[in-house]
Amino acid sequence: MAVTRETAATVKEIEQYKYGFVTDIESDKAPKGLSEDIIRFISAKKNEPDWMLEGRLKAYRHWLTQADEEPAWAKLHYPKIDYQDAYYYAAPKQAKLASLDEVDPKLLETYKKLGIPLLEQQMLAGVAVDAVFDSVSVATTYKKKLEEMGVIFMPISEAVHKHPELVKKYLGSVVPYTDNFFATLNAAVFTDGSFVYIPKGLRCPMELSTYFRINEKNTGQFERTLIIADEGSYVSYLEGCTAPQRDENQLHAAVVELVALDDAEIKYSTVQNWYPGDAQGKGGIYNFVTKRAACRGRNSKVMWTQVETGSAITWKYPSCILQGDNSTGEFYSVAITNNRQQADTGTKMIHLGRNTKSKIISKGISAGHADNTYRGLVRIGAKADNARNYTQCDSLLIGSTCGAHTVPYIETKNPTAHTEHEATTSKISEDQLFYCMQRGMTQEEAVSLIVNGFCKEVLQTLPMEFAVEAQKLVGISLEGSVG
Amino acid sequence: MKPAQRISGLMEHPFGADYARGTPAPADRALAAFREQARAVFEPQGLPGPRNESWRFTPLRTLAKVPFIPAAAADDVDVAAVPPQIAELPGAARIVLVNGILRADLSDTLDGVELSTTADRALLGHLASAASAPLAALNASFMSQTLSLRVSTRAAKTIHLISIAAAGSQPAAFHPRLLISVNKGASLTLVETHCGLPGQPTLANPVTEIDLAEGASLKRYVQVTEQPDSFHLAATGIALAARSRFEGFHMGLGGALVRQEVNAVMRGTGAALELNGAYALDGHSHHDFTTSIDHHVPGCASNQVFKGVVDGGSHGVYQGRIHVARDAQKTDARQLHKALFLGRGPQIDCKPELEIYADDVQCAHGAATGEIDANHLFYLAARGIDPATARMLLVEAFLADATGRITDENLRAAFTRDIQGWLSRRSLKAAA
Repeated sequence: MAVTRETAATVKEIEQYKYGFVTDIESDKAPKGLSEDIIRFISAKKNEPDWMLEGRLKAYRHWLTQADEEPAWAKLHYPKIDYQDAYYYAAPKQAKLASLDEVDPKLLETYKKLGIPLLEQQMLAGVAVDAVFDSVSVATTYKKKLEEMGVIFMPISEAVHKHPELVKKYLGSVVPYTDNFFATLNAAVFTDGSFVYIPKGLRCPMELSTYFRINEKNTGQFERTLIIADEGSYVSYLEGCTAPQRDENQLHAAVVELVALDDAEIKYSTVQNWYPGDAQGKGGIYNFVTKRAACRGRNSKVMWTQVETGSAITWKYPSCILQGDNSTGEFYSVAITNNRQQADTGTKMIHLGRNTKSKIISKGISAGHADNTYRGLVRIGAKADNARNYTQCDSLLIGSTCGAHTVPYIETKNPTAHTEHEATTSKISEDQLFYCMQRGMTQEEAVSLIVNGFCKEVLQTLPMEFAVEAQKLVGISLEGSVG
Repeated sequence: MKPAQRISGLMEHPFGADYARGTPAPADRALAAFREQARAVFEPQGLPGPRNESWRFTPLRTLAKVPFIPAAAADDVDVAAVPPQIAELPGAARIVLVNGILRADLSDTLDGVELSTTADRALLGHLASAASAPLAALNASFMSQTLSLRVSTRAAKTIHLISIAAAGSQPAAFHPRLLISVNKGASLTLVETHCGLPGQPTLANPVTEIDLAEGASLKRYVQVTEQPDSFHLAATGIALAARSRFEGFHMGLGGALVRQEVNAVMRGTGAALELNGAYALDGHSHHDFTTSIDHHVPGCASNQVFKGVVDGGSHGVYQGRIHVARDAQKTDARQLHKALFLGRGPQIDCKPELEIYADDVQCAHGAATGEIDANHLFYLAARGIDPATARMLLVEAFLADATGRITDENLRAAFTRDIQGWLSRRSLKAAA
């Protein structure tokens, strides 16, 4: 019987969220709740100039007028969020470290578990990492090398001091503080995030990457990312997330702004694997993200790729405003929901310039009692001559207790534009499963293989380092969904 | 959650207390009570505004400003005054309504179909309830006449229902309700022509409730060719029992603002629904096709093909929703909308929506917009066909994907003729 008990214990361990651990580091926290004082506290903590504080307060005052404007149109069900019952600022106490040796070993341990290539692995992986632990960036690597090339890659709190002209010019220029309820909240309380500037004509030689981590209990995380690709430059940016397990729902309202000038290209990839809550739907992250790119220049290009496997609630619509003539926007998405997860995600492609092109490939996979919604807008303005859009959304249902929904909006005002939209819904066929299992695969391996095949088009667009992780994630997220 | 509607955001509209006084309550007490209940729903919500998701593409601001009065039963209107393009349907039995009121003197006697002006209470309000749709609420609040059609055999003759809108010296509105029940195994082909006489603007607000019993079959072809400054807001609710068949076709060729809303519920296994439509718009015409198909039970099929061409400053809207309930396994649901631009200025909005809770289903939708392919024009030009004729041919062929799905041969030809008529009028206009 001892063996059985052991097996049961092992199984139980496996069933638990792989990255569900809490690192105990004393943190520097603002009191619970949200008020002008808290915002002044955050701003003071960051030693911000007055114009930043004013911007935050302006956003906060606007947010107060928006109390009943919290978006309710998404196909999401969750208890009302009490915004006064969260901490808006928490920072690991030790800051300003000269070298990695000074980093809290516990923290390094955490990263190791997550597999972030921060030490020796850095060289092998060739990834510069701006690791955000809770709200403050504690270690930034490869900075020197990038600096020599003129690339600015630093926490946004640092950029405010070092490059105020760039921050002033671009922060809030793509997602203004009045944009939506969650973006307004973010503009008021954002704690940190990454700032990237790629100078004219430079092809950034390495993938830039930030791992987000929600660690402190009850800390809503409000990241703000701003990436500017100047004329003729190229950058590939990776964002990945895992979070420790906890029972209380956590709010995350990030804002990401991308600006691509003439002939510039930005590739933004995300693997999101936050704690999705347990099988009964208890706990999990609430993820309300506003991501938007402005293709301002001629021939500019932005490509969003996302693999969304985590979070209890996902509310996320990475968008492209195609202002510049000949600009291109692409959106590749895999969203996997299992158990009680809910995802309402998609994109917006706003065609304003001539010869603008957009492509949307969305794969939604729903299992357990989950609901997965694709919601997307393609808008062709009257002046967007020869605009092209191609949209394909496919949904895969695993089991008869989940839901898959597609809500596309297509608005066209230009006769020379061509838009195409296709969507299908299907399930894993018994034949496919049987075929795989007959060849010695377990049912879960077979499901993972079939689903990976279903998502291939999207996973292929990920940078190598991410593609491997994403493929594994696809399998892990669907464990226990069949049979 | 937000409060459902902000009262302060309510649009001013002409359908207030004065309007209600102008539409005397029916003698039937139960009917009068039905109207009162509907008004209790309509009054606080009013006309749907842009914040109502289902109405975001179709603003009613212009309509709300027209000082409509309840239309009088215009006994002096003669069908001879009806625009000549309303095709005679040979062999069809006619039912003529003027301002929503049956004109027995202009209608034929029907064979195998019971027609009555007494409301079928078993049906009234069941498939289009005031609570579920603003259009049904508006209709029920001021309902003029209910017309009940009951089919108990295979009706040999096609019924052609002609609804004529005729305003007097003031803009007029009317709210007819049509109740159709097709009994077990029975079948009917119904053509509806909604048109109006030149003059003051009119608003036709017909609501139709259709109940198909087991194995029943109904073909319903609707054409809306209202006057250029007139309005038409129609809603249809359909319930399909096991193995019943419904084939619908909706054509929009005229009117300032037209909405044709169809909500169908699959209630019995093996039911099949085919719902197609075509529109050809110019000027400032706005046509909205909104459909919602609820697959409540397993093993049903639905298919939709809507195609449209837009010119001038017109605006075409297609919103389709397919809902597949948890138990509705083996559902086959399809939806397609394609629109063609004929010039600069028009607008197309499309929202094909799928909401699926069952896994063993086949569901697909497609949507596309574009203009006439220059290669196609070149191909035809190379064969000696002048550009104007070539464009007409291509438009006709484009819409034929939808009209071609009309299974009744004679009616398919009649609807195709209507489209050809629209095209030739348009080219005449262009030539002038």
